[in-house]
Formats: sequence, structure tokens, C-alpha cells
Amino acid sequence: MAVDAKAVTGTSSSLRPRREREQELLVWPDLVFIEFIAAVVFTLAFVILSTVIDAPLLNEANLDITPNPSKAAWYLVSLQELLLHMHPALGGVIAPTFALIILAVIPYADRSNDGQGIWFGTPNAVKITLFSAAFASIFTVGMILYDQGRHVNVVTNIVQHADKDWQWPGYLAPFQNVRAIQTGWTWSVPVPEAAQLGPGEHDGALHWPEDFDHIPMPFNGTSGPDWMRWGPPDFLPGWLQALYWYDLNLNLPAFIVENFIPVVVMVGLPALLIVTMRKMGWVHTVRDGSIAIFTGMMVVYFILTIIGAGFRGAGQDLVLPWDVPHID
Amino acid sequence: MSVSEQPRGPKLTAWLYQKLFHNYVWRSIFRSGYPNTPRNQMLAIATNVFLHLHPTRLHKTHVKITHTYCLGGLTFFFFLSLTVTGVMLMFYYVPSPERAFSDVAALETNIRFGMLMRNLHRWMAHGMVISVFLHMMRVFYTGSYKPPREFNWLVGVILLTLTLALSFTGYLLPWDQLSIWAVTVGMNMAGTVPLMGQQTQFILLGGFEVGDDALIRFYTLHVIGLPLLAAIFMAVHFWRIRRDGGLARPL
Ligand code: HEM
Repeated sequence: MAVDAKAVTGTSSSLRPRREREQELLVWPDLVFIEFIAAVVFTLAFVILSTVIDAPLLNEANLDITPNPSKAAWYLVSLQELLLHMHPALGGVIAPTFALIILAVIPYADRSNDGQGIWFGTPNAVKITLFSAAFASIFTVGMILYDQGRHVNVVTNIVQHADKDWQWPGYLAPFQNVRAIQTGWTWSVPVPEAAQLGPGEHDGALHWPEDFDHIPMPFNGTSGPDWMRWGPPDFLPGWLQALYWYDLNLNLPAFIVENFIPVVVMVGLPALLIVTMRKMGWVHTVRDGSIAIFTGMMVVYFILTIIGAGFRGAGQDLVLPWDVPHID
Repeated sequence: MSVSEQPRGPKLTAWLYQKLFHNYVWRSIFRSGYPNTPRNQMLAIATNVFLHLHPTRLHKTHVKITHTYCLGGLTFFFFLSLTVTGVMLMFYYVPSPERAFSDVAALETNIRFGMLMRNLHRWMAHGMVISVFLHMMRVFYTGSYKPPREFNWLVGVILLTLTLALSFTGYLLPWDQLSIWAVTVGMNMAGTVPLMGQQTQFILLGGFEVGDDALIRFYTLHVIGLPLLAAIFMAVHFWRIRRDGGLARPL
């Protein structure tokens, strides 16, 4: 039976702190009693809570009557909030999946034993935590306010005092909210006749967005010269058909708004956070970096939950908590 | 048992003690005497199937409340209490669209302590989601995922997902407007995933929208599938805490 723990686990047994018997307590009574008291206290607290506050029960389920707003459970409301700002697959599934994967790999990235087993055990841990929390809160709240676009009315009202006919200029549409890049932003670049690709009427310019919302994917079988056109790939098994982008055209403005910008933001801001704190001389180790990322993720989750649960009214409009309609 | 471990005192108490805790029946159940000596205290932990999740001794920093804030233990406590209250609710609840809503409504009106059980189950479910998040944060900020505890952190992430899944599946069961629409919102997110979203959604709902098949699927997952999985992963989690040398502390 004698198996050498070191041989089995590689290095792990050497990572254990030495056992100091004189520092040890007996589990009975020192731990068991704490557990017992905690269990009693929480049982009592929840029994009292449950006699005072009743769990909600609304009208019977009916798929024909959609409550407005209809909300996910509170711990998923943060994802629902993301859906308002990006492609549903990205906000509802892909981003949270990546978040879980990042959580899971933290210990495999941060392998040192520095600061293990005590609260904020590395020299800069507290500073990094507070700075990351502030950074994440400011950017999250800021971007949500920007995307809601209330500032457009405010600015327009103010400027109209001076100039009654003032309108938000079209070329500044991206400053209204993200979606305006796709819907409100109009510009064109002149294109010489010779450079025109494909059929269609030539008006001497490329116009945003209408000339960019139907860009054929390469080898989609329905665009380009004759030899690149073929019928639907019926002969392939179903799952391969689903993988092949037959007849798929890219809506570039929508892609930029729903996928590209959100990904840049979700990857770029954490990167910016870490680079900034490196410049400030706070982040030195992987542990420092992971504190920043973990704190950022927790704070973003928290803020999205608060905003989604408390500040989203009918039509998922941003309103004050007391204006959120009561659903029954 | 050596004489020196007998508590000292007047003869009567010694006799009473002997009768109460060293009799044949007591010994058949507990094996060790009353835990008032170090030896018996350790035996009390080691010979009891429930208590032996614990080590018999532990480092004194780990019983300080501010080290763990009891959060892992609290999560486990919530899990156990949810099992108890959940079983009670199962006596009255039939997972069919015809009965689900009225069964839950009847807890309030027709069944003694029915509302209390439902409220406890509801609030403790919220409590568990909150405490599992806080527990993860305490483990992170105390750097307790560091080697050799990497794998236990991974088990923890699985437990976090299972906790959320348990809560999500339970949300549908009252079959009111809150449940059906919350689940519809959630399932629509799954449905938008490229390539496999539609299939996943169809498998989970047993159809294209939240209906009777979805109810029985969510119910089965909620009362047996996910709790079993969670219990298995918790067993691994606790086992690994012991294997990794107890809670983390500075080298
Ligand atoms: C159902 C969910 C969970 C239960 C019941 C649970 C239970 C526990 C318990 C009782 C402990 C002992 C120390 C303490 O109470 O803090 C513990 C430690 C630990 N837990 Fe969890 N846990 C759960 C979820 C998680 C999650 C989500 C993570 C991380 C992602 C995690 C990672 C760990 C680690 C790494 C330890 C060892 C800590 C140390 O050595 O100090 N657990 N868990």
C-alpha cells in the first residue's frame, strides 16, 4: 500500500506547508460547534425570512400574454443586459462561456504559490482590486449610458437654444449609440467607374450602409464569375450543410455593430486595464493580472445584474427603479 | 480505554457517565465514548460517516471566521436544506401543465406549512447562488486555488455551473408568468448559438417553445439529475480538500 505521494502527484507534496501539530486544534469541538451554530443561526434566519416574505406567484403561465418587460432570473439578467448591446449568441452564450473558461484556467495560468492562503496576500493585491473594480464600473456604466443614447436629447436641447434648427449631424451618428453606426451614419466614397465589381447600377460612389450590407462570402456559390456559382449542396449530410455558408452574404454594418465592436471592447478593455497597471508599476506577476481580470469580471457581472434587474423597464428601456413596471 | 482518560469527579457522576456512554447500546452505535477527551474527540470525528468529511485536527487559522466566512460550508448547508424542503414540496407537486400552477397555489391555501416550505425553498435557493459566488470570491482573494488545489478550483467552477442550472430549472416549475417567460428568455439565448443552438434548445425544451415537455424535462433535471451530479461533484470537492492537505495557508 505504501505509495510515494511524490511519485504520484509530481511536485504537489512539496508544495504543502509543514504540519505544525502545536498550531492545530481539534475539529471536535472547535470546528463542529462553529458549524452547528452557523447552521442554527441560518435556519432560524431563513425561517423568519420565510414567514415574513412570501415567494412570488404570478398568474398562471400563458405564452399568449407577454409581460413587458419579461426578464430572466436575476443571476441571468446580466446576460440579458448584454443582449441589448450585441448579437444574442455573443452576449447570451459565447461571452459567458468564455468567462467560465477563463475562470476555470486561472489556476493553470497562475502557478506560483505567492500569497496563498491569506487575504490579498501579494503586495499590490488590494490596490489592483480597487483600481480594477473602479475601472470596470466606470466603463460598464459609461458604455450602457452611451448605448442608451439619452445624451443625444440633452445635447440637442441645449444646442437648440442657440440654433433652433440644429440637428445631430449625420457624420457624428456613431456618438449617439452603437446601433447608429449601422442605421444613422451616412457617408460615401467616390469610386471610379473602372473599379466597379459585379453587376448593378453604378452611381460613382460607395454608400454606407446600403452598399455594405450584402457582401457575398467567398465561395458562397451564388456570387462572382460563372464558374463560382453552383447549386445548394444537397448531397452533403445535414450537419455539413449547416457548416457550409451557402448563399451567405455578410451584412457588414450589422456585423461591426453586433459582433466586432463588442468583441473589441470585451477583449480590449481588460487588456487596457492590465497594460495601464503595468505602466503604473502595480502588475508584475500572473497573480496580479488574474486579480485584475477576476475583479473586472465580478464587477461587470454585478453591475449588469443591478442595471438589468433594477433599471430596465418596459421595452428594456433604461429607467429609474421606481419606474420599472410591476408584473403580475 | 486507559484509566487516565476517565473524567475525574465524585463517584455518582462517574457511575452515571459509565452507564450513559459506555453501555452496550451506545457503544454499538458510536464506537467511542463521550467526546470529552482528545482521543474520544478525534474518534468522534473519524468514526462517524457524516463528520469524517472533516479531518480530526486542523490548523488554528482555519477556524477563524474571517478566513472563510463559512461560505463553502454555508453553500453546502443550503444544498442540504434545499434537499429537505424540496422533498417536502415533491409530495404535493405534479409536473404537468394542468396541475403545476394550482399545486403551487394550493401550498399557500390548503397545506399546513406549505407556504413556509415553498418560501424556505425559494429563499434558500437564492441564498445558495449568492453564497456560492461569495465562496468563489473568498477562495480567489485568499489565493487558495494555487497548487496543489488547481483541480479543486475546476471542480468548483463545475459546481457553480450546476448551482445556476439547478436554480434555472427550478424557476420553471411554479408554471406562472414569471417562470415561463424567464425560461423563454433564457432558452432563446441558447437558441441563437450558431450551428448547435437550435438543437440544444430543442433537446432541452422537447419542442420549439416552453410547453408540457419542457416542464417534465426541467422537473426531472431539477429533482434528480442535477442534484445527483452536484452531490457527486461535492463529494469530490470535499475529498480533494482533505487530499490537498486541508485548506490553503502560506508556505
Ligand atoms: C455547490 C458549491 C460549493 C460547495 C458546497 C463548496 C464547498 C466548499 C467547502 C465546504 C470548502 C471548505 C472551505 C470553505 O468553507 O471555504 C470549500 C473549499 C474550496 N472551494 Fe468550494 N464549494 C463550492 C463551490 C466552489 C466554487 C464555485 C469554487 C471556485 C470556482 C470552489 C473552490 C474551492 C477551493 C479551491 C477550495 C479550497 C479552499 C482552500 O484550500 O482554502 N468551490 N468548498
